[in-house]
Amino acid sequence: MKALFKTAILSSALALGVGLAGPVAAQDDSIYIPNLAYRTGPFASTGTPLMNGQRDYIMMLNERDGGLNGVKLQYDECETGYNTEKGMECYEKTKARAVVTQPWSTGITLQVLPKSNVDKIPILAAGYGFSPMSDGKVFQWAYNPPSSYWDGASMILQNISGGDLASLKGKKIAFLHLDHPFGKEPLPLLEAMAKKHGFTLVPIPVGLTEMQNQSAQWLQIRRERPDFVIMWGWGAMNAGAITEAVKTKYPMNQFVGVWWSGHDGDMKLVGDAGKGYRSISWSVPNSESGLMQDIKKYVVDAGKSQINQGEGEFDSVFYQRGLMISLMLVEGIKVAQDHFDVRAPNPEQLRWGLENIKLDEARLKELGADGMLVPFSTSCSNHTGHGGGWILEWDGAKFVKASDLLQPDRAEIEPLELEKAKEYADANAPWPVNEECKM
Amino acid sequence: MFYRTAGQFKTTYQADHALFPVRQDAVLLGIVLILAFVVFPLTASEFAFRALLIPVLIYSLAALGLNVLTGYAGQLSLGTGAFMGVGAYACYKLISIFPEMNIVVALALSGFFSATVGVIFGLPSLRIKGFYLAIATLAAQFFLVWLFQKWAWLYNYNASGAIQVPNIDFFGITVAGPRAPAIVQYYFVLCIVCLLTFFIINITRGRIGRMWKAVRDMDIAAELVGINLMKTKLLAFFVSSYVVGIAGALFVFLWRGAAEANLFDIPLSFRVLFIAIIGGLGSVLGNFLGAILIVALPVVISSVPEAFGLPLSSATVEHLNIMIIGALIIAFLIVEPHGLARFWAVIREKLILWPFPH
Repeated sequence: MKALFKTAILSSALALGVGLAGPVAAQDDSIYIPNLAYRTGPFASTGTPLMNGQRDYIMMLNERDGGLNGVKLQYDECETGYNTEKGMECYEKTKARAVVTQPWSTGITLQVLPKSNVDKIPILAAGYGFSPMSDGKVFQWAYNPPSSYWDGASMILQNISGGDLASLKGKKIAFLHLDHPFGKEPLPLLEAMAKKHGFTLVPIPVGLTEMQNQSAQWLQIRRERPDFVIMWGWGAMNAGAITEAVKTKYPMNQFVGVWWSGHDGDMKLVGDAGKGYRSISWSVPNSESGLMQDIKKYVVDAGKSQINQGEGEFDSVFYQRGLMISLMLVEGIKVAQDHFDVRAPNPEQLRWGLENIKLDEARLKELGADGMLVPFSTSCSNHTGHGGGWILEWDGAKFVKASDLLQPDRAEIEPLELEKAKEYADANAPWPVNEECKM
Repeated sequence: MFYRTAGQFKTTYQADHALFPVRQDAVLLGIVLILAFVVFPLTASEFAFRALLIPVLIYSLAALGLNVLTGYAGQLSLGTGAFMGVGAYACYKLISIFPEMNIVVALALSGFFSATVGVIFGLPSLRIKGFYLAIATLAAQFFLVWLFQKWAWLYNYNASGAIQVPNIDFFGITVAGPRAPAIVQYYFVLCIVCLLTFFIINITRGRIGRMWKAVRDMDIAAELVGINLMKTKLLAFFVSSYVVGIAGALFVFLWRGAAEANLFDIPLSFRVLFIAIIGGLGSVLGNFLGAILIVALPVVISSVPEAFGLPLSSATVEHLNIMIIGALIIAFLIVEPHGLARFWAVIREKLILWPFPH
C-alpha cells in the first residue's frame, strides 16, 4: 500500500511537471510542420497511407536537398484517431511552434476554424473541410486546395450526366454518406442542384457505429432503385459500402465516390467484382514520375519509409495523394521564403505564401510531379484554387484515369459559397474580413 | 503526526455535524483551493488549461451529476452523454434566440431542460431496477442523439449539423467562443464547478441525501419508514440531470467551442460512468480523482516520451496510452474496488494513526 501511495505521489508530481511545462521555444534553422494524423481508430486504414505520403515527401526533401532552401523541415505527427477531442488537444499542443495546422478531419477543421483569426495560424485542409472556406476574404486563415467538396459534387454530377446536367431530370440519385460533418458537407449543393435540374436526391446517412454493417442502407438502396449512388465515405465505411454493393449486385458503373472513397485497399477486397467503380480525384498516381523515383531512391529504398511495400502502397492513390498534399504545403512555404526573404517564415508569412501558390503545369513538371496533381493557383479571394479533377476508374487491380480534366460549375457554386461564408461570419461576429483584398 | 486528530474535541452537536470534523481536512481543502485558484492560473500554459484543467473540471462535474443518481440514489443510468447533450443544445438555442441573455442565466436555465428530460426518462425507474433501468436510460441515449441529428432546428439548420459557439461576453469579458482567453474560461468553469459541488455536498448530507441513500440501500425498507419512492427517485433524476446538463453546456460552450451530435453518443456516457465508478460511487471527492485519472492522465502520458526525447511515433504512443490506462483502471479496482475516493479514505485513516499504528 505504501509503495502504491508513493507511486501515486510521484506520478502526480510528474503529471504536474509535464503538463504545466511550456512548449519548447521555436528554432530559426528549422520549420516545424505538425500534422494531426490518425494511424489508429476506425479511420486508420485510409489515414495511414496519406500520412505516410505526407511524411515521406518532407523526408525526401530533407534527404535530397537538405530541406527547403537550406532550412530543415521538421515534420511531426500528433495522433488524433479522428477524434475531435484529441484533435483539439493536439492543436493546443502544437500551436506554439507550428507554422500551419493540418486538421485532417472536417470535424476538427470546424473546431479550429473560429480560432484561426485569434491564433493566427493558417489551416491547410487539402481537399476537405468546410467548402465555403474557398472565400478567402472571409476565411483569411483557411485553405482547402485544390478542390472543395462542392467542387467534387459538381464534377461527379457532370460526369454521371455525361456533361449535360439537364439529362438528370427525373433520375434518382442516392447520396450515401457518413453521418458526420464530413459526409454532410456536400448536401446543400446537391440539394440546390436537385431542385434546379429536377432529379430526386435520396440522402442515406451511415452512422459512425454502422460503418461496417450497412445492410440497412443497402436494403434501402435496393428498394429505391436509384440510377446512381454517390458516396461520401471514409475509413471503414468505404470497404463496408463496396462489399455490400457487390453483395447486393448493385451495378458498379452507377456507383461514384468522392476522392476519399477511392482507396486501393478497399477495392482490393472485392477485386474484379469492383470493376467499373469510379471516384473523382484531384491527384493521379504515377510511379514513373521523377518525383516518385526520388521518393523511391531517398526514402523507400533507404528504409526510411513506413509504407507497406508488400501491399503495393507505393503505387496507391492515397500514398501519392499524401505526397501531393505536402507538395502543396511546401510550395506555400517556398513562396513565403522567396517573397519575404526569410529562412523560416512565420505563420503570418506562410498565410501570404499559401495565398500565392501558383502550381501550373510547368511548375509541377519542374517538381517532377507531372500530371500527378491538378494545376491550380490561389489568390486572396480564392483559397481553394478550384483546380478541378479527374475521374479514376477501378479496373479490377488498380485505379486508372478515365476522363479528361473536369472543371466544377463555378457559376452555380460561387453564390452559395459566398452566402454560406457570410452566414458563418455573421454567426461568429466579430469576425474580421480581409478588406484589402480587391479581387 | 501530520494528521493528528488528538486534542480536537467536539463539544456540541453542531461541531459533530460540521462539514470537516477534522481540522486537517479543512486545511487540505484550503490548499487544493489555493492551488486551483492561485497557483495553477499563474503557472499553467494555455495547453495545460485547455487540455488538462478545464476538461478535468467539466468531466468531474458531469460525473458528480451522475453520482447523485447512481452513487447516492442507486439508480443506474447510461444516458449521461445524452443528458449532457440536452444541456448543450438547450444552452445553444437559448443563446441564439436571446443573444443578450447572460451566459450564467442561460447555463442555469439549460440545466432545467435536461432536468425535465431526465425526469421523463426517469419515470420507468418507478417500476424497474438495476440493469433493466440501465436499458431504459440507454433508450434515452439512442433517442436523444437521434433527435440531435434529425431536428435541424436544434442546430439552426447548419449545413454540417454542428453547433458553433459564438463569442459571448460576461460583464465585458469574453468568456466563451474563439476569442475567449483560456484563463478566463478556466476561472469561469472553476467557479461554477465549485458552486455546484458545494450545493451537491450539502444536499447529499441533508434530509434529501438521506432519503436517497435509504432508497439506494433498500427501497422497500425506505418505503416502510414513510419515504415517498416516486418523489425521491424523480428528485434524484431531476438534480442529477440538472448538474449533468450544466456540465454538458460547459462542455461545449467553455471548452469544445463546437460540437456535433455524435459527440454525445454512448462513448461519452461510458466515459462519465467510468469516472464515477473509478472515482468511487457515493462520494464527491471521487469524481475529481476519477476525472484526473481518466481525462488528464492520458494527456500527460502522451507527452512523456517527447519530454524525455524518446523516439516513439505518435501512433505507438497512443497504443501504449490505451494499454497503460486500461491496466491502471484494472489495477486500481483490484487494489480498491470501491474506487479512488475509498483509496484516499484508507490512506487518511493510516495517516491519522501514523507513525504509531497501534
